[in-house]
Amino acid sequence: MAVLFSIYSGLYLIKLLHKGENSPVKSKTDEELIALIIQNHRPALEELYDRYVKLVYSFSFKLTKGDREKTKEIVQQVFLRLWTTKRTYNPLQGKFVNWILTITRNIAIDIIRKEQKQPGMIQLELNEWWQMEDRETEDVPQQVSRNLLKQQIQEAKQHLSEPQQRLINLLYWEGYSLSEIAKLEQKPLGTIKSRLHQTLKILRNYFSKETGGVPHGK
Amino acid sequence: MENRCENLSLYIIGELSVNEMAQFEQHLITCNHCRKEVNSLKETWQMLSYDVEEMDVPESLKAEVMDFIFQENSTESLVKAKGTENKESSLAQAKAAENVATSQVQEGELKKRSYLDWLKAFLGKQFSPLSTGITAVLLLGLIGLFWSNHQLKENITVLENKASSQTQIVRTFDLKGLNLAAAASGSAYLLEEDRDTVLVIELSKLPSTKDEEVYQVWLLKNGNRQSAGTLKPDPNGNGIITSRLPKDLSFDDIGITLEANPNNTQPQGQKVLGTS
Repeated sequence: MAVLFSIYSGLYLIKLLHKGENSPVKSKTDEELIALIIQNHRPALEELYDRYVKLVYSFSFKLTKGDREKTKEIVQQVFLRLWTTKRTYNPLQGKFVNWILTITRNIAIDIIRKEQKQPGMIQLELNEWWQMEDRETEDVPQQVSRNLLKQQIQEAKQHLSEPQQRLINLLYWEGYSLSEIAKLEQKPLGTIKSRLHQTLKILRNYFSKETGGVPHGK
Repeated sequence: MENRCENLSLYIIGELSVNEMAQFEQHLITCNHCRKEVNSLKETWQMLSYDVEEMDVPESLKAEVMDFIFQENSTESLVKAKGTENKESSLAQAKAAENVATSQVQEGELKKRSYLDWLKAFLGKQFSPLSTGITAVLLLGLIGLFWSNHQLKENITVLENKASSQTQIVRTFDLKGLNLAAAASGSAYLLEEDRDTVLVIELSKLPSTKDEEVYQVWLLKNGNRQSAGTLKPDPNGNGIITSRLPKDLSFDDIGITLEANPNNTQPQGQKVLGTS
């Protein structure tokens, strides 16, 4: 009888512990999870993984042009980075999603183009990070806003010329430097620079016209 | 100045060298045009990341990523990661000293953490969630057994104490001295324990005895006398005797005689104390 009782209460206890470990992190914000990760709280890291892995994975998958091994390597490095360099993250400085995507891209390009790029060029995320400001409304469910953004970008891209689209592709998705692109395009570097500036402006104007998502310079 | 403004898009895509970047940040402070542009263009650049088809993540990836972070990378990769971090921090030269100090502190913490992680990883390796659950249940069962065993023992002890403490006084007698022991007095208690009847007689101011002389206790019932033991008083004249009596024995009075030798079955000497 006593044994049965013990076993039953043991199971109940395990259930309770299990709950206790899972439910609190689920209800926490990204910032609260970061605070927990700083205290080496592994469930918080796992929760951030659950929230962002789809985005990081999909993004990496595109960056590696569908290389699953490299995609895995990138995802591992991104979350390792999150675990080890977490003290550099300050929630006041912007949205976590932008930070993790910036880091993902830097790591991805580092991995993809290790042999072609000089080290140091891609290690700018702290400064990039510094620039980020949160202007999007947080209320929109993330999935919906992500899909909207994707549609808008794809529509905006149709307003770009052929060379402008190629530029974004080589620069953003393939990680070529501007001078490499200048060589590929057989154009002076200055031309490519101003092409980039034009391209970014067109995209920005289109985004702001459609959604007010990216306001004009403040 | 115009030259610097050209660097705006390079700054946004992160393609400036360390020096160029520091220069451009100086430039940002003084150039209104660039300052107006920098944030919105930056966001435009970042929004490109949303141009992605959503993929299904393999189920097994989470375990691989967590293993990578918490097992294989307990020391080596962490230190590597710290190394790159230090490089980054040197970008901002003004903050360099501070960062070095911080990173040293972090290295220390890292070591501590890596031991902890190693321990966690080790335990994690040894015990799957299922076996942890089973172990927990067995342990709890064991604790439950010990607990109930302990309870049982306590119950037994309580019962034993209860049994032995059930002695109660059934009757009390006053004994008065007679004849040569007129000054003596005493009390007798008839006690009933679980199965036995015990007679305890306590006497004081008894004249001392010589040689083989003893005081002998007699139980009287309808003129019959039965011996209930003998005693010798101490030098102060105090004496005590405890006799275990047969269960069915009953008596009305107690008499004590002074006998010349201890083995008499019927009183021969003088009566010295009695209940009446």
